[in-house]
Amino acid sequence: MTVIEVSNLTKRFNRFVAVDDVSFHVNEGEIFGLLGENGAGKTTTMEMLEGFQRPDGGSTRVLGHDPQHASREWRDRIGLVLQESDFDPLHSVRETLALFASFFSNPRDVDETLELVGLLDKADERVGRLSGGQKRRVDVALGIVGRPRLLFLDEPTTGFDPVARREFWQVIEGLRDGGTSMVLTTHYMEEAEQLCDRLAIMSRGQIVAEGTSSALISAFGATTVRFELPSDVDLATLCSLAGVPFVLRDNLVTALLGDELETVLLRLLTWTKSSGTVLHRLEVVRPTLNDVFLDATRSGE
Amino acid sequence: MRFARLSLSLAMYNLRAYLRSVRTVALGVIMPVGLLVILSWVFAHQGTIAAAAGYPISAIAFYAGGLTAYGLMLGTFTGVMVAIVSAREAGWLKRFRVSPMPPGSYLTGQIVFNVMISMGLVIVMMGIASLVYGLHLRLIALAAMFCYTMLGVFCFTAIALVITRLVTTPEMGSSVGPFVTITLSFTSGVFLPPDLMPHWLVSLSNFLPLEPLAQSMQTALAASSGTGIMYRPFVVLGIWGVVSFVVARWTFTWQPLRR
Repeated sequence: MTVIEVSNLTKRFNRFVAVDDVSFHVNEGEIFGLLGENGAGKTTTMEMLEGFQRPDGGSTRVLGHDPQHASREWRDRIGLVLQESDFDPLHSVRETLALFASFFSNPRDVDETLELVGLLDKADERVGRLSGGQKRRVDVALGIVGRPRLLFLDEPTTGFDPVARREFWQVIEGLRDGGTSMVLTTHYMEEAEQLCDRLAIMSRGQIVAEGTSSALISAFGATTVRFELPSDVDLATLCSLAGVPFVLRDNLVTALLGDELETVLLRLLTWTKSSGTVLHRLEVVRPTLNDVFLDATRSGE
Repeated sequence: MRFARLSLSLAMYNLRAYLRSVRTVALGVIMPVGLLVILSWVFAHQGTIAAAAGYPISAIAFYAGGLTAYGLMLGTFTGVMVAIVSAREAGWLKRFRVSPMPPGSYLTGQIVFNVMISMGLVIVMMGIASLVYGLHLRLIALAAMFCYTMLGVFCFTAIALVITRLVTTPEMGSSVGPFVTITLSFTSGVFLPPDLMPHWLVSLSNFLPLEPLAQSMQTALAASSGTGIMYRPFVVLGIWGVVSFVVARWTFTWQPLRR
């Protein structure tokens, strides 16, 4: 069951192609991440899914409907957590949320929602007196108070401190466990790795990589093996011994390895054992989503 | 039913914020009341003023009527403009747009809220005019004032909706609003009697929305018999309002302009 179907989606602003022939889908109950640099087309894509921007080509189905012709029933099942958030400072948190809850046919209880985002103790506080992080939680509360089936989160943790970010992740994971599907844009690779079941990396309006984060990491990134060159061997000998090309950089020999990782390590360790050589500062470094991101967005240049 | 309920809860939401903000209440009420006190005192010796109606009316009817129209315009036009631009730039409108609230409820909520505070202004101004300055206030005149108030709020809300497209920040709205209203006031027989103004300027302001509203309110308060109700403001303000709503349907945006 899919909640979003996007095929060949295109959006132009004058001659600039912001979103270029993009296709993807989001399954019911999953968190789908859209990553990309500023200007990569993430927000424009989101805005077309939310019905704010009219596509120039391709088709979008969100909860089975074209967002351009969305009915009130459709809006009843959509939630939005925006990048920027600023509310009337003269209303209390509870009053702000109560107004919003009144728009929906089957809203969550206001206090229950505040509890969920950890703001119940601030319910009677005026919004103008909240800290930046607390205001973002109001934002999340507004996004989920209508019990959305699908929630859009546009860079929701920008400006959070590390503790607030971890707490926010717990809220999001709790919502997913409750069955809410989500589309998330973020700049933080750690966040994408933690939260997203699947993700797509956008660059210059196109999707350049898509899949689960672990699949992307193994497909795109190579594991690095490095250590200090032992004094009793030269680089050429080492290369023939290991069967792969090592390079010498900053006093360390380094190789990028894919499938042959285990074989190479076995050869190296057999050799050190038989010859009594010690490999100082030996490291095997797995690639991160960040490496994948840099690799994927750079390859288009 | 749902539409009415949502419109009312949005109006009450606005009203609550309004009553909590000393600054907006001060701008909305103290300004016209203060002007009423000052101008009535300055022009008290005149006794009567040659209003645009073509016959002299008492200074208090002139100022109580004209300044109520001015206060209504200042409050509604500036208020709606600043409220919408703030809500839009803060992402509130975007959020509203994707919520199941019917867009018309938001607009109706704004109109109902402004009718409420403008009615409040009418009551305060009429109270002061009759209790302090001895204006003889007939019930029919008060009813006429309420009718004109609804008409004025409708019209100035519509014009403000169009202007929001040109205003990028709430701060800009706070200065554009008073600038437009004060400029218009000088030509519309609100601060100064129209016979002090060049003839062409008075003729021009007949077609702008403030002058017909001010004159109809002054006439209603000055009339000693009959209803004193004029049809001209309904034509002029009606056209301004309807045309503005039609234009706003095309130009209005729910997305922040600053990016």
